[in-house]
Amino acid sequence: MIENYNFNIDKIPNLSQEEKSIRKKNLDIFFQSGFPNKKLEDWKFTDLNSLISKNFQKLTNIEKFNIDKKLELLNNFQHNYVYLINGKMNSYNFNYEEKNKIIIDNFNNSNRNVNKPLNSLNFLNDALAIDGFYLEIKENYKLKKPLIIYNFFSNNLKDVIISNKNSIKINKGSSVDLIEYSLDDSNNCFIKNTNEQINLDEGSNLNYFVLQGSKSNNFFYKYIKSKLKKNSNFNNYILTSGLKFNKIEFDIELNDDNSNCEIYSALSLTENAHQEIKTLIAHNSPYCRSYQVIKSVLNDQSKGVYQGKIYVKNQAQKTNAYQLSKTLILNDKSEFNAKPELEIYADDVKCSHGSTSGSIDENSIYYLMTRGISEIDAKKLLIKGFLADFLEKVKNQEIKMLFEENLERQVNGS
Amino acid sequence: MKNQNLNINQEYKYGFTTDIESIKAPKGLSEESIKFISNIKKEPSWMLDWRLKAFKRLKTLKEPNWQKPKYPKIDYQDLYYYSAPKSSSNKPKSLDEIDPKIIETYKKLGIPLVEQQRLNGIAVDAVFDSVSVATTFKEELTKKGIIFCSISEAIQKHPELVKKYIGSVIPLSDHYFATLNSAVFTDGSFVYIPPNTRCPMELSTYFRINASETGQFERTLIIADKGSYVSYLEGCTAPMRDENQLHAANVELIALDDAEIKYSTVQNWYPGDKDGVGGIYNFVTKRGICKGKNSKISWTQVETGSAITWKYPSCILQGDNSVGEFYSIAITNNHQKADTGTKMIHLGKNTKSKIISKGISAGFADNTYRGLVDINEKATNSRNYTQCDSLLMGNKCGAHTVPYIKNKNSTSTIEHEATTTKINEEQLYYCNQRGLDQEEAVSLIVNGFCKEVLQQLPMEFAVEAQKLVAISLEGSVG
Repeated sequence: MIENYNFNIDKIPNLSQEEKSIRKKNLDIFFQSGFPNKKLEDWKFTDLNSLISKNFQKLTNIEKFNIDKKLELLNNFQHNYVYLINGKMNSYNFNYEEKNKIIIDNFNNSNRNVNKPLNSLNFLNDALAIDGFYLEIKENYKLKKPLIIYNFFSNNLKDVIISNKNSIKINKGSSVDLIEYSLDDSNNCFIKNTNEQINLDEGSNLNYFVLQGSKSNNFFYKYIKSKLKKNSNFNNYILTSGLKFNKIEFDIELNDDNSNCEIYSALSLTENAHQEIKTLIAHNSPYCRSYQVIKSVLNDQSKGVYQGKIYVKNQAQKTNAYQLSKTLILNDKSEFNAKPELEIYADDVKCSHGSTSGSIDENSIYYLMTRGISEIDAKKLLIKGFLADFLEKVKNQEIKMLFEENLERQVNGS
Repeated sequence: MKNQNLNINQEYKYGFTTDIESIKAPKGLSEESIKFISNIKKEPSWMLDWRLKAFKRLKTLKEPNWQKPKYPKIDYQDLYYYSAPKSSSNKPKSLDEIDPKIIETYKKLGIPLVEQQRLNGIAVDAVFDSVSVATTFKEELTKKGIIFCSISEAIQKHPELVKKYIGSVIPLSDHYFATLNSAVFTDGSFVYIPPNTRCPMELSTYFRINASETGQFERTLIIADKGSYVSYLEGCTAPMRDENQLHAANVELIALDDAEIKYSTVQNWYPGDKDGVGGIYNFVTKRGICKGKNSKISWTQVETGSAITWKYPSCILQGDNSVGEFYSIAITNNHQKADTGTKMIHLGKNTKSKIISKGISAGFADNTYRGLVDINEKATNSRNYTQCDSLLMGNKCGAHTVPYIKNKNSTSTIEHEATTTKINEEQLYYCNQRGLDQEEAVSLIVNGFCKEVLQQLPMEFAVEAQKLVAISLEGSVG
């Protein structure tokens, strides 16, 4: 298998001999199993190994790029930003904020502990990770403007795998609205393997929005490990339509009373797109709440997957946990797979899940058509309504508008 | 050396009263023991070949280990795969020798004395057997052309039917335990309902006279020909005395055009003691195929016994407009573990399936619902509705739901719902207020929780099952 890939640790800059040898060990572990395939329970519906061997030749971690383009920023939207190019931090700007409240650095300089690897992709990330960002918000500070993390990919990434690590720490009583915004300039095929850790201290809030700025033919995998303390809130809004392959894996620990976690996703997939959301939410303490709503609209030969797991420890009484996955299947070639799982060891809890999949309600289309709306428009209207209802939860009006625009574009298929 | 001598002596002491009783298959899993079983059952050569093929396949398979309940490794070479019925000197001579706890349960269930003896393998006097209901029923069935006998008898007398259908739903190579069963199965039931016949009564293993010693590798085959109907009952509400720890049965159902099979199970095998020592491993493969148009298979199960229950009665909905149903109650108390559910594979057009599963977990038990709903791209206009509810009593037990949902079709609809809760305090309070004690109140509420499934059981089963639900949860509240 090794000969199929061209992974070279010695060419990663600024590594000590010791780090190199640790990374080589991790690479060896990766080679024992290779990219995950359907035999693994966590990848039951996604055969990444065969997708990769079909789409890549001699995958490598070595990239040579020079960027001469001016950085592309979102207009008409006041924001702070961190700009990553091919996974590495290029620049940042916090002009709207008090300088001493924010720490921003390269991940490698931050001496952070890394997440414990769980699957072969995590091991590969540990072996090949180049860099990433480290962001810390100091106590009792609310960011005045949203922060956008730009993820820009240059156009010469042929058969490259980009591995990076990010870390976000929000201290006591602070809040952030964070938008991850991807821009893909690449014509060639690449893989991005990200490992991210998010720690929320007492009473802190993080609203994490994931948005896709342009269509992409590339493969994205992201593993997020998150630990929540007392009274903290972690809300996720995922709008990543337009990616060819995307798997986001959440591993969230609700470690203290009254912590709260929400995940909303609205995806409209076309062509042969494949997107998967996998969650593990561990309720380790009483009075915590988790809420997941996963909505997908599947067109053409696209495939949507939701694997969600709620784990409730025996002392986590008064837990309130909810999972819902709803899917509209518009084409017989598209496919939806779900595994909404509950593992519960405490009795005084409210845990439930629901999952539905089917086509658009004929009666609703008929109703709209009797009001003079054409069939195509009626369908679009219903699809938009189906996907958009999570927007109500978005408090920041500017972000809400940004999302609405993006959603509109998706539903209209551009 | 000393031990060996002792064994020989013992065999002399008990054995050799008749030829059959002294016969035991060589210990362990080998070609010899399979040939031995086949030989003793005077099976035709095709059957032996089939068994050997399964054995060959078994050698390449590994025991599955993805299930939630873990168990100590089973030494398959340390088992006897066939032993003739025990001589009467080995069996308990009267009910006084039986565990008083079991007798108490019988009283609560209202099981007659003769039946109690029968269940425990006490030699019942001949009078009881000759007047048994079974003989009368058998005549009536023969008149209608219904075949209801042991599978060994069917292999002899109806080889064409057995040959055609055995292994057609659960193939030889299916998985470890199914393959093991195919190689070494000892006995079980065979049912064939001829076209356009409605079986006039509920068939039950209990009525089959020689069914008392089917052993640990049971094999059942039920075929409902075009336009026929049969309702089959398996098991019994009363706890059974059983010495085999591993039970790996295979049950195959085949429904042809417009046929309907209703299969009800009540399982209450020994669950082990309060600390989880001992108890039966119930690893059963049950699968039905709706082969014909408009056919229907309905599984109903009440699982209260066994240390580990691991089974997924499934339906393959191949015929257009066919219907699959699964109703289940799984109750686990003390250290019992259950990993059960169903698979609904939709292949034909307009196929429908419904899953209602109720799991109740108390004490230190673990109860898992694991199920698959798979709608194929050709199964247009299909529908599935799934509801899994779990009830937890105390925070030492666990309730888990692991549904797999696959939809490859734009005209089909899948709905899945699951909830996990505890018994509502207000409901309990209300019952207590009206003079019910805690245990009665819990039993009432739990029975209400299970009502949708209990309703599916045949009348005579339903009443007993209700009592059983209450008894299984004894001592879990307080």
